[in-house]
Amino acid sequence: MLTTIILAGRISAQGTRLENHADGRVTVSTGGLRLTGWPVAKAIRAATAAVALALLSVAAPGAARAESLLNVSYDPTRELYRAINEAFAADWQAKGNPEPQIETSHGGSGSQARAVIDGLQAQVVTLALAADIDKIAKAGKLPEDWQSKLPHNSSPYTSTIVFLVREGNPKGIKDWGDLVADGVEVITPNPKTSGGARWNYLAAWAWAEKNGQDPKVFVKSLFEHVPVLDSGARGATTTFAQRGIGDVLLAWENEAYLALQEMGDDQFDIVVPTVSVLAEPPVALVDGNITNDEQRKLAEAFLNYLYTPEAQAIIFKNFYRGWDTSKADPADVARFPKLDLVSIDSLGGWGKVQAEHFADGGIFDQIYVPK
Amino acid sequence: MPGFGLSMGVTLTMLSLVVLLPIGALLMKGAAFGAGNVWDVVNTQRTWAALYLSFRLSLFAAAFNLVFGVLLAWVLVRYRFPGRKLIDAAVDLPFALPTAVAGIALTALYAPNGVFGSIAKDLGFRIAYTQWGILIALIFVGLPFVTRTVQPVIEEIEREVEEASATLGAGRFYTIRRVILPMLAPAALTGFALALARSVGEYGSVIFIAGNIPLQTEIAPLLIVIRLEEFDYDGASAIGIAMLFISFTMLLAINAVQIWSRRRIGHV
Repeated sequence: MLTTIILAGRISAQGTRLENHADGRVTVSTGGLRLTGWPVAKAIRAATAAVALALLSVAAPGAARAESLLNVSYDPTRELYRAINEAFAADWQAKGNPEPQIETSHGGSGSQARAVIDGLQAQVVTLALAADIDKIAKAGKLPEDWQSKLPHNSSPYTSTIVFLVREGNPKGIKDWGDLVADGVEVITPNPKTSGGARWNYLAAWAWAEKNGQDPKVFVKSLFEHVPVLDSGARGATTTFAQRGIGDVLLAWENEAYLALQEMGDDQFDIVVPTVSVLAEPPVALVDGNITNDEQRKLAEAFLNYLYTPEAQAIIFKNFYRGWDTSKADPADVARFPKLDLVSIDSLGGWGKVQAEHFADGGIFDQIYVPK
Repeated sequence: MPGFGLSMGVTLTMLSLVVLLPIGALLMKGAAFGAGNVWDVVNTQRTWAALYLSFRLSLFAAAFNLVFGVLLAWVLVRYRFPGRKLIDAAVDLPFALPTAVAGIALTALYAPNGVFGSIAKDLGFRIAYTQWGILIALIFVGLPFVTRTVQPVIEEIEREVEEASATLGAGRFYTIRRVILPMLAPAALTGFALALARSVGEYGSVIFIAGNIPLQTEIAPLLIVIRLEEFDYDGASAIGIAMLFISFTMLLAINAVQIWSRRRIGHV
């Protein structure tokens, strides 16, 4: 019987089989030569196995294992969850559980929500806006009343919007009103693509309301001072800090402190306005993506851990405003000045704000883009 | 021909999975949304501005690449100089580099505090965060197409042809215009079409350098992403369909020009 063998890559030879080796190779006689190599069927099997293995390893991250957790989060929480994940894993193991596998995915809050709606297997979401989690709830992945399930509106930490200005504050910016002065360039991401930018917009809106100005007119003139619209908060920080564009960055408070820490406080100053928003980035358990009880236990433990004094200390350390100061470093807590914080509820709640301001054709579109 | 059935089957399956099905799904989505609604989404000032910007700058970038790409290919094939192999290899870099990385690198260079951007700033204009920035990014991503399609054709052109032209009394420019360029035209047009197609859909590199101001520096792909961020899948697919339609029309036009030029100068 003739047997075809593969010698090296693409070279093959055919001949009568003389000998079978222990490792599966065979020796054939082609008439004049004795050659040893893998019989073709085996070579094809090996190739198929390699392809299958490659496909499997691509598919594997989607398949949830019992003790793993995917936390889908927004951009500026990278550093926070790196620290929290580590502390939680240690705490979880100290309670006699096997080591959990916790992964966090970061991106724009809206696109992260869309990824979860479209099938990203996140067991936990920690996004910038309640409105984004509401969208996931509408898609049926978690109950509509998710926000009442954990303390403080399901927001284990809050933040606010402050100004980051260049060292010495050369344009003399003290409050929102100074941002619309001639020659001042303001950097903020696009409220259409960035959750943080929606907080920026609402903070400006709230200030104008409190100071007897027409908020629509004020916010319109504010956005006329914006020369670059990045799609996310981290991108806007880069544009301001690294590229040197603009006089003031409207930023999450934690992003502003992080910029000071990363790039040195001899380059930038933080200016706290008199009025800002109480930004509540909420967290929630995605019931629809929980595969078994073990995983639910882990996900619940993770979310509850965020409210423990230990996690709250990490939260303060990462420049977010926590609730529980009992274990936090007093220096971290003292960093946050008191200011007039307007809550989203006083603006009508996310359902109303989202539809009125940020939907297609909403107030932001009206003041910013002529239709 | 042996193997035709199998190879054709595999080809059609793969083509359907990766190309035809997604485009079909896009068109289905638009059909379900309704032609009138698609038109309403497209027929707004902002969408027109974005489409006009994307296609206009892509045309400019492809035109630049057409001239510069042919020149580059000519130099690489016809001249021997130190570093030629290196430059030849570098032409493919825009293919290999993740476009977002390219975008960030270009922005760093052309921002007002970057190496080139600061020179421009001294001269009184901005490159990054204007349409110039977008143009540079589009030129970058489209550059290899023309060079790589024209290069083998130039290698095929024998010097004897030029010599023959010279002995018949033609000057250098006459030879280029009547002998060399007609032979290059079909390949160059193919490269032009490829560069154009790539630029129209480019997102990653442009987004960092564009500034993204509606009506001024907002490209059509970004507008699609914005519609998706609003969970407005219908609006996003409407803009996608408009882009598909315009691209298809342009590629048809380029094909027609190619057929015409082949007929005029004979098959090369």
